Amino acid sequence: MIKITELEKVYRTEEVETVALNKLSIEVKEGEFVAVMGPSGCGKSTLLNILGMLDDPDDGSFVFNGIEVAHFNERKRADLRKNNIGFVFQSFNLIDELTVFENVELPLIYTGVKTAERKKRVEEVLDKVQIMHRRNHYPQQLSGGQQQRVAVARAVVNHPKLILADEPTGNLDSNNGNEVMQLLTELNEQGTTIVMVTHSEHDARYSHRIIRMLDGQTVTENILI
Amino acid sequence: MFKNYFTIAWRNLSRNKIYSLINIAGLSIGLACAMLIILYVKDEVSYDRFHKNANNIYRIVTQSIDKSGAKGHKDGNTGYLQGPRFKQNVPAIKSFVRVQSGSQDIKTGTEIKSQELLYVDTSFFSVFSFPLLSGNPVTCLNEPHSIVLSEDAAKKQFGTTDAIGKIVMMKEDSAFVPYKVTAVAKKVPQNSSIKFDVLLPIKESAEDAQNNENWFNVFLNTFVLLQPNTNIQAVETQMQRFYNSDSKSAEESITQKYGPMGWHSLYLLQPFLEMHMSTELPAQNGLSNASNPMYSYILSGIALFILLIACINFVNLTIARSVKRAKEIGIRKIVGGDRKQLITQFLGESFLLCTIAFLFAIILVEIILPVFNDLANKALSVSYLFDAKLIAGYILLFFLTALLAGFYPALVLSGYKPVETLYSRFNLGGKNYLQKSLVVLQFALASFLIIATFTIYAQFNFLTTINLGYDDSNLIVVDKWDTKHDKAKLFKGELLKDPDITGVAAKNGGMWSTIAKVANDSTIFFEYETIDESFLPLLKIPLIKGRNFSGSFPSDSNNSVLVNESFVKKAGWKEPIGQAVNFWYDNKKYNIVGVVKDYHYQALNYEIGPQVFTMKNDNSYGRFFIKVKPGSETASLKYIQKTFKELFPLSPYTYTFKDDENLKDYEAEAKWKQIMLFGAVLTIFISCIGLFGLSVLSAEKRTKEIGIRKVLGASVKGVVTILSKDFLKLVVIALIISMPAAYMIGNKWLRNYPYRITQSWWLFASAAIMVIIIALVTVSFQAIKAAMANPVKSLRTE
Repeated sequence: MIKITELEKVYRTEEVETVALNKLSIEVKEGEFVAVMGPSGCGKSTLLNILGMLDDPDDGSFVFNGIEVAHFNERKRADLRKNNIGFVFQSFNLIDELTVFENVELPLIYTGVKTAERKKRVEEVLDKVQIMHRRNHYPQQLSGGQQQRVAVARAVVNHPKLILADEPTGNLDSNNGNEVMQLLTELNEQGTTIVMVTHSEHDARYSHRIIRMLDGQTVTENILI
Repeated sequence: MFKNYFTIAWRNLSRNKIYSLINIAGLSIGLACAMLIILYVKDEVSYDRFHKNANNIYRIVTQSIDKSGAKGHKDGNTGYLQGPRFKQNVPAIKSFVRVQSGSQDIKTGTEIKSQELLYVDTSFFSVFSFPLLSGNPVTCLNEPHSIVLSEDAAKKQFGTTDAIGKIVMMKEDSAFVPYKVTAVAKKVPQNSSIKFDVLLPIKESAEDAQNNENWFNVFLNTFVLLQPNTNIQAVETQMQRFYNSDSKSAEESITQKYGPMGWHSLYLLQPFLEMHMSTELPAQNGLSNASNPMYSYILSGIALFILLIACINFVNLTIARSVKRAKEIGIRKIVGGDRKQLITQFLGESFLLCTIAFLFAIILVEIILPVFNDLANKALSVSYLFDAKLIAGYILLFFLTALLAGFYPALVLSGYKPVETLYSRFNLGGKNYLQKSLVVLQFALASFLIIATFTIYAQFNFLTTINLGYDDSNLIVVDKWDTKHDKAKLFKGELLKDPDITGVAAKNGGMWSTIAKVANDSTIFFEYETIDESFLPLLKIPLIKGRNFSGSFPSDSNNSVLVNESFVKKAGWKEPIGQAVNFWYDNKKYNIVGVVKDYHYQALNYEIGPQVFTMKNDNSYGRFFIKVKPGSETASLKYIQKTFKELFPLSPYTYTFKDDENLKDYEAEAKWKQIMLFGAVLTIFISCIGLFGLSVLSAEKRTKEIGIRKVLGASVKGVVTILSKDFLKLVVIALIISMPAAYMIGNKWLRNYPYRITQSWWLFASAAIMVIIIALVTVSFQAIKAAMANPVKSLRTE
């Protein structure tokens, strides 16, 4: 599903040049659950942003579902993104001014799904992450675990082929963390490909394969199953 | 999708109360001002358009041209001859109406009042479209003693509008004669240059109609109705050709009598619809509400300033708030929102805000309309608002405002990169030059208006407190036209019997100016004043040479005159006493017996010109100046009225206090003073609430910095200084920009006054200090709050 080859990304400020990705090559197959690990600043998040088409690489190739997307413009990337990719963040990133229901509904609005169909699908997915009873609450009224479940619901409501999770349990206690990992595992079992960046060895063990990075390159790959 | 936009817009507004309040308050005030001005301008341009023939009505005007061919001033006045003779000889002229203003005493019950009225030709109601309630528009002015009343006048006179056939007693010469009401006209629209309560047929003797010299005796307005699609220039040429031949004999006889005229008249046609706003040929001499387009420009300018400042608040606050909204924008983009959708969303928010502001603005307009009418000398009503064109104008204004305020922020906000906003790598647009320059612009506009207001106040104060050269305190003025000298003496003697009345003096009514020759044969144009011997001492006007008129010099009544300093200067005399003034109109020489110190006999908008004072028996008096003891005004007034009624039972009695009358000369300045004050207060207020909003957001953005500084030992004062300094710098730049502009424009305005203040430094300094203090209070309010906050708390939340 994903094949990146010799990918490069350099951040430049006026005086400093930071190499975030240094000729990185990775492949992720459909249905896989991959964990990316490594110390702060090793390029994990940059990799995730490029995979999520939020950022573009400086050099190298990125093939998604058989299409070369490395040099797509913002609009094409946005189109591809909204139909194929869901995101889960460490800091949940829910919109404070919208209720649980409205936050989850947002991706469906942007893909032009009709109102009745939206309602059905949002309720379905809220049910699945067991947050239906809080559908009219605002994010600030929820616990961290509940907020992350809403974020997961939002990530999957559009039935994406790929979920990108950036330290999804980083702000959660272990109980809530486990619940979220359980959710991701279930989604993976139902066929969704997952790439997850994490610092936690415990969380990484939920995945099929661990990619360890250092200074913008892969160091090792452990296959867990 | 739109429901979602609306939901989030609404929640954003209700959650950020300060932000919403500032924007809605500012925009409502701005929109309300703009709406009022649209209303004002609409009214201005609608003047006289209600006449069916409006496009084919012209006023006959003249322009003087001297021997060298240089064109001089234009004059809207014509006389008895122009209308009828041009109509007879220029085929394109369908009909004419002469409109002459005047006043006649009228009896209402037992009361006698002076009634302003218009003398018009019988064609008045066929050329103009003033609808009648009753009566025949074609014949109502045919009989010499017919009278047409307005609805209001009929009600006042008879208590009903059903007045046809009733009799009104009007004074003619010295007796009251009956006039028969032949028509009652509907109330004249307020946007009409011709306003009347009473119309009488024009009084023109057969002799006047024949006398060719009347070509040169101009005192009324003549309107002509032309055939549709007439070539105006051709008509003007025909008029000119006819005038040249017809006036030739009259010009010759006048030249024989008075010497050569030295100038010639060019006849022109002024479109009736252009008259209201013409400064060159204004509506005057019985026509009302002449307007200066300058008023429209200044009012529109102020309204635009205010609206612009309110829009700037919106732009600045929205962008400043975007730090907070950046996350939302990032999320929306990540879950699939594209830029177009985001622009739509943010524009939607600005439209929602504008809609709310718009509704408030309509309410505001209704509330402030009476005040505005008073300020702008208008009678606009709210019902004016319901007009298709006006509504279209308002909708356009609404869209423009929403776009002006919303488009730039929408463009900026929608351009944020989600990666940056979500990973706190986001830093709000560098140095914010745009935001800063907008704040500078706001404060430059506001301080410009403040300085302008200060200038107008200072000049107004100067005009109303300057030493006029005479004493106008405790001075009651009573008008009694055409009073012979013996009657005046009688009146004075009766008045002086009241111990509270310390002096009485008589003078001619109105202004009378004429020309005379002096020794070296030069001609001087001057104000010709008829006074009695008490006038100068009573008003404490000093003589600098010679003596006052006196009863002990019998020749004073007929052979002596006084002149003022300006006259002496103009004549170029070293020794004026004993010199002679040779009057043009009676060809008689008068000896100068005294020189009066120059005093401001008219408003300070005019320079003091030459004056000649006479006590001539043939000239009648028209005004009495009555000096009363301070505090005795009420009792004295009663006594004066009683005495007046006994002596002049058939004349209307009116009185004013001279100092009040003098103040009235500056009504226009007083109005502008108020308008500018309103404008200045509103602009500085809206600028300040914007600045306040920015300081709130800036303090929020710098919470962490403030925390760190405090942990490292910064004092509250130090932090307040840091937070306020940036904003104050902008205000100072604004002042530097606005001061020269305000100086130049103020200077230009002041040059309209022959007597004026100089724009001193303290005027600018006090305006600057005021603006700085207002701005400082505005920003330090929030800065102090931020500086006092507990640093531990602010650092933890970061």
